[in-house]
Amino acid sequence: MTLSLWHFLAVGAAVFGIGLVGFLTRRNLITMFLCAELMLQGVAINFVAFARYHGNLQGQVFVMFILPVAACEAGVALALFLNLYRRRRSLDSSDWQDLRELGVPAATDTEPLPKPAMEPDPVLTPAGARPTPAAEEVARV
Amino acid sequence: MTLYALTQTQEAGGQIALAAALGVAGFFLLLPRPSGRFVPGGIAALLGAAVVFGSFLYRRFGDPMPNVIESVLFWMFSAGALLFGCVLVANKNPARGAIAFAFVILSTCGLFLLCAAPMLMAATIIIYAGAIIVTFLFVLMLSQTDGPSDENDRSRDPLYGGFAGFAFAGLVLFALYQTSQAADANQTRANENRLDTRFPAPVLNGDDRKALAAGLTELDAAAAQLDEAKTNADRAKVVLRFLAAQSHFTTVVGQSKEGKDNAGTIRVRLEKAPANGPAPAVLFRPDQQSKEALARAARVRAAGFTESELETALQKDKPDASAVKAKAQKLRDEVALLYGTGDLPAANVRALGLSLYSEHLLAVELAGTLLLVAVVGAVAVAQRKGVAK
Repeated sequence: MTLSLWHFLAVGAAVFGIGLVGFLTRRNLITMFLCAELMLQGVAINFVAFARYHGNLQGQVFVMFILPVAACEAGVALALFLNLYRRRRSLDSSDWQDLRELGVPAATDTEPLPKPAMEPDPVLTPAGARPTPAAEEVARV
Repeated sequence: MTLYALTQTQEAGGQIALAAALGVAGFFLLLPRPSGRFVPGGIAALLGAAVVFGSFLYRRFGDPMPNVIESVLFWMFSAGALLFGCVLVANKNPARGAIAFAFVILSTCGLFLLCAAPMLMAATIIIYAGAIIVTFLFVLMLSQTDGPSDENDRSRDPLYGGFAGFAFAGLVLFALYQTSQAADANQTRANENRLDTRFPAPVLNGDDRKALAAGLTELDAAAAQLDEAKTNADRAKVVLRFLAAQSHFTTVVGQSKEGKDNAGTIRVRLEKAPANGPAPAVLFRPDQQSKEALARAARVRAAGFTESELETALQKDKPDASAVKAKAQKLRDEVALLYGTGDLPAANVRALGLSLYSEHLLAVELAGTLLLVAVVGAVAVAQRKGVAK
């Protein structure tokens, strides 16, 4: 089996790059977190390929430790997200931009969000004449 | 046409830059924004980036594996990982993104299997696809929003973010390319494939298999020639043919007969210290697989012809062709068995467990403690303070 190391390293780098793009550009906290996990996967590919390349298990052991760390990370991060969501009713990471560095201007969204397509209220064609209430009929309860 | 004559490095750099630029353009068009996105253009740009990246891999690093099935699996799994990664990044709906991430995990696990890590494959599927993603989906269900929202329909600086990510990946790829070139320069062999970077530790490598396969076809051809040989001169040619076939094997399995000291590539690769006298050789890989491969190589050696044997059988007045053919058949069987000596990592789980609990015991304990602390922390963070409303 003539496996070459470079292919796996290149694929790992590409997966890491895609994850980095997602982490930098997306604003949903959960998507950002999934992109961080994507970067971890790229690193794991590297580790496993190097383990195969060197013919020992050290790289695989490293990935075995990535797994519990990722699980811890997911547990704590999701608890945090729940707490944040309870406060602002949103998962937008820009809602907490008052935690940003000193001297950095606040980012504002200029473009308005598109209005969701609402179904118009049903309109009934009137049939017949509108009844006029009789004088003696004061109240009908 | 020397107008576009570029050096190899420039060409590789250009390929990487083109792939990165197409990737940036694709994500710029595909990332969600309030004014709407241009999906077909983005998909086309990303596909172009994938094609350029694939051709870069193929042209610079060669076909990943000589085996067709493995090559197909490699391309399939890596394409799957990249494709679903892009879906995760570009999809507006985070629940769909989580599902795409599950597919990324499955593709990565395929790559793990190709790297002989079945235990990690199982663990990753169970923990990631089984536990982490399901937890994510629960949280997503709690916080589902209807209609367009800030978090799902806006992106933060898609151009700069894409540029940062792809510049990083491109630089890593370029560094990889240059390292592979340096590794090539160290190598004096012909440049037909980059042998120095293959994963070592296989019992049989591609060269061995190639030599064994060549020997097998030669052996078949010699046996066919033996059927047609009528005169002594013809038989002398057949003898040469058999010996030529056998010389393919002897490079691999070694030759102990007739005082020729040729250890064979399998022995040279697998033995750390060669056996002197009765002391058993020290192996690089003292596992069952390599022992079995060495035993099979010994059987091929034992089944082989010697020159005098062939000559006495074929050059005398009554040539004994059937005996030679039977022996050739036996040799063929042994060689085919050696060729099929697989590299399945059957002992991977056991070896990993041994390594974890002997060399990395402290780290295992720390990981366990970390999990416990994380559970306590998650409960502490997620509980509502004060009275429930």
